[in-house]
Amino acid sequence: MTEVSSKPLQTIIDEYKNISPELAKAFIFKKDGEIIASNEEGIAQDRAKKIAAAFEDILNHAGVIDGIEILTIQGISTQLDITSTNNSYLATVSSRTADEKMIRALNCVIVPTIIRLMDQIGTPATSDQPCPDIAEPEVKQVEEVVQPPEPTVIQQFPVAPEASSERVFPKTPVNQFMVEKIGGLLVASDMVRVDTDLVAKWADLYGDMEILQVNVETLEGKSVLCRFRPIRESDGKAKGVIQIPERILQTLGTGEGRLVMVKPVVPVPLEGKS
Amino acid sequence: MSPKPVVRSETALTNVVAVTAAVVEDPVFAGLEASLAEIRKMKGVLGYIMRGNTSAVLDLAERDKISQYAFLSNQLHESCLEIAKQLGVAEIESALVEGKTQKVLFMKIGENKISVFMEKTANHSAVIKRVQI
Repeated sequence: MTEVSSKPLQTIIDEYKNISPELAKAFIFKKDGEIIASNEEGIAQDRAKKIAAAFEDILNHAGVIDGIEILTIQGISTQLDITSTNNSYLATVSSRTADEKMIRALNCVIVPTIIRLMDQIGTPATSDQPCPDIAEPEVKQVEEVVQPPEPTVIQQFPVAPEASSERVFPKTPVNQFMVEKIGGLLVASDMVRVDTDLVAKWADLYGDMEILQVNVETLEGKSVLCRFRPIRESDGKAKGVIQIPERILQTLGTGEGRLVMVKPVVPVPLEGKS
Repeated sequence: MSPKPVVRSETALTNVVAVTAAVVEDPVFAGLEASLAEIRKMKGVLGYIMRGNTSAVLDLAERDKISQYAFLSNQLHESCLEIAKQLGVAEIESALVEGKTQKVLFMKIGENKISVFMEKTANHSAVIKRVQI
């Protein structure tokens, strides 16, 4: 349960004493002992964990009475009530003079309903499962070993997603290259040059979406967005390198022979994700 | 010298078999057994299990579920002790577990652990009073 979703529970737990002053303690916790909401400081996690385990032990044998809706333990002057909803437990400690119907309404109806509602609302935020409406493309790692003098280039290329009625956008591939400094009168100071094959793969990957810029990032975390163009095919030694002019090198604080990561800047539709 | 246990088997008035291994000389146990026999006749009561130090008695309507009721009864005792300890309750008078259709009342009188199984609608407060008499 998220922090956001636990706030309504904390609110109602805070109100317990106002609703019924005989309700001394109330707290909601998880199986691992995590306290989600409590109206009293000092409910230790290990205690909550032991209570949850003891309750579960009963629950494991409660099939013969069709599960457990509520467990009530009465001491000489105190009453404990424990209920379980959606893997959360609510425990209350009250005086035996407390209004039993009120406790039952709170513990068996109101709080469990709120827990269920919060879980329903919080599902997308708390779940690690991908949103069913947006297919997450599978990313296949491909290792290409480039012969010296070029360094090893690790490239990630997403596998094209299966045909779908909705358009899906693959994760942006990140490629690592060794820096080669370029200069001269014909070299634009704000443009890098990248492997022709890589540019072709981006074209395959993103279809009609035109890639106009790349993000170049050093291993230290400095990055720039800049225009790019493919390295001339006649330059056979250009595999595994990115050619960067002096001005961008200064911006990045890097130099020839260093490694940088390059990824295309994909024009993202407002509702899509890269 | 501890009294010799007497094992007996009998057919109860409620058309269920009650198997008893009881020390008839234990007056508390015998008194509770008599009370439980009366409770068994109450509306909605499905049966009971009582375990003492050296003896036990049970009377359950669903004989094929005796072991399930016995496991639940035993677990209820252990778990309630643990929960009460964690929440600072020194002594347990009774514990009630309510399922969707049935409920179980657990009580400990001296060394005798009693579980009374009832329909959900049965009056467990009346059972408690009857046991404590």
